Amino acid sequence: MTIQSEPVLELRNINKSYGSVKALTDVSFKAFAGEVIGLVGDNGAGKSSLIKTISGAHNPDSGEMIVDGVARHWKSPHDSMMAGIETLYQDSGLAPDLTIGSNIFLGRELEKKGILGKFGFLDQKSMERRALDELEKVGITVPLSRRTVSQLSGGQRQAVAVGRAAMWAKHVIILDEPTNHLGARQSLEVLKVITAARDQGLCVLFISHTLPHVLEVTDRIIVLRLGRVVKDAPTTEFTVESLLGTITGLNT
Amino acid sequence: MSTVETPAASSNEAPPPSPLRRVASFAANQQFILFLVLVGVMVFFDFHNSRFFGTSEFTNLLVDFSEAVLIAGAEMYVISSGGIDLSVGSTIAVSTVVGAYAIQYLEGHHFGEFPSLLLGTFACAGVGAMVWVINALLITKARLVPFVATLVTLSMGEGLALVFSKGGTVGYDPAAAVWSSTGFWIFRWLTLMVLTVTVVLGLVLHFTRYGRYNFAIGSNPFAARAAGINVNRHVASVYVLSGVLAGLTGMIWYFNTSGGAPQNGIGNELEAIAAVVIGGVSLFGGSGRFTGIILGVAILTVVHDGLVFINIATTWNEVVVAGFIALAAVLQSMRPGTKRLM
Repeated sequence: MTIQSEPVLELRNINKSYGSVKALTDVSFKAFAGEVIGLVGDNGAGKSSLIKTISGAHNPDSGEMIVDGVARHWKSPHDSMMAGIETLYQDSGLAPDLTIGSNIFLGRELEKKGILGKFGFLDQKSMERRALDELEKVGITVPLSRRTVSQLSGGQRQAVAVGRAAMWAKHVIILDEPTNHLGARQSLEVLKVITAARDQGLCVLFISHTLPHVLEVTDRIIVLRLGRVVKDAPTTEFTVESLLGTITGLNT
Repeated sequence: MSTVETPAASSNEAPPPSPLRRVASFAANQQFILFLVLVGVMVFFDFHNSRFFGTSEFTNLLVDFSEAVLIAGAEMYVISSGGIDLSVGSTIAVSTVVGAYAIQYLEGHHFGEFPSLLLGTFACAGVGAMVWVINALLITKARLVPFVATLVTLSMGEGLALVFSKGGTVGYDPAAAVWSSTGFWIFRWLTLMVLTVTVVLGLVLHFTRYGRYNFAIGSNPFAARAAGINVNRHVASVYVLSGVLAGLTGMIWYFNTSGGAPQNGIGNELEAIAAVVIGGVSLFGGSGRFTGIILGVAILTVVHDGLVFINIATTWNEVVVAGFIALAAVLQSMRPGTKRLM
């Protein structure tokens, strides 16, 4: 793994309060292209607040966010998408009744050329074909693109969802508990896609409670506790026990 | 009404399709079965009364079809986006009454026949749009569930139709009746217009961005929002579209009955929903084919008219319709990959 000198995403002293509750206190870190960063912490540690800040779901009270060298301020999640950050929330995922290709291109549909396209007619064939190509790049082979997502297994679905984020992101993908509810073998499918996305030069923020997955797939781990970054270190420095200790505050 | 599927609930591997399975899935294709049913029903009626396949009967069939197909189409849009619409029928009633008043007024002021009818049509569509703006506001702003919101407008529409018309038929317009009975072969001009609109509705639903968003929202509104789709705006627009279609149907009633009666279209929302169910559209939203509801409306229309032909009291109509709904629902639940509650 090569770490470039310029971070693709940098947070400087981000603060966020909900009324009198301080959710984030002086959160700072740098994230580089081509690395998977684990973002861990107990419930209420500030993980959700942090990813919502990065994805533009809400704004920080103070602090700076620099994406690819430019200080940015999001007005909506759409802004962060335009700037090359894709977020996969737990509850969003895919539309099960649509085909894989339709899901991959959801919100970014390709229109037919010419007059039909002007009326909003879609070029379904191109979308299905390109979806297959793009998914293959991150190591996902789906049997038939014309299948609906509901016909896929849970692991395949989540892999497709991650693949979708990887396809559209220019810089960063944020994955909120992507291996939740998945069995061991299915989780492996998803972790493989995450590794493939990293190898394509993306920065992956991986949020999870499943510590073995975090240790397996990440290059670096950032531990949040009570809204503060308490540890930011290479994954090799952690074991499940020491990571758990850092999360709960038993050891520092 | 959509279900956010947890991957754990369906973590089994998808089975590979075998040739046998493909044949089975084609035979189980609801469109195909519906088509066979439609042909079967028509042959059955013709067998009992050979006049059924006559030109005049087909003309009548198409007229009845065109009274039902637009609101079924509207219902299809609403249901596949994850909602439900109970107020299409009563909107027909209000718009037919208001449209009749508008035409009466315009003709009384020497506007001429054609401009009056045209403006009356706009008045009908406008009333429909207004009802659905109320629906859209109740659903997207007041956050009522569609069932309750459209129940409100259902009652309101029924009531207002009676209030406006004072309980009687508004206007009597022989000119409209004359015009609406012209056309060529088995098609009346009005029928042709309705069929054109129907085809456009089907194309938009299945081949354009608008239709894609409709299904996406019905399938998983969270995913749709995360993909940058303005869910509220789309849902509101679907109800407005539905209102305009019901308003236009009100005008069709005006032409076919040469006047605006407050009982026009009352209860037709159930027929529209029945057509949607028979057509194999998931009531959970997210899936369905437009050809299905066209076949559904066709079957209901043929059964409705055919019973008269074989001398069975029309009161049996609802019972026969119930049978078709049950059959269609069972077919749908047997389809692979169907969402189940239990």
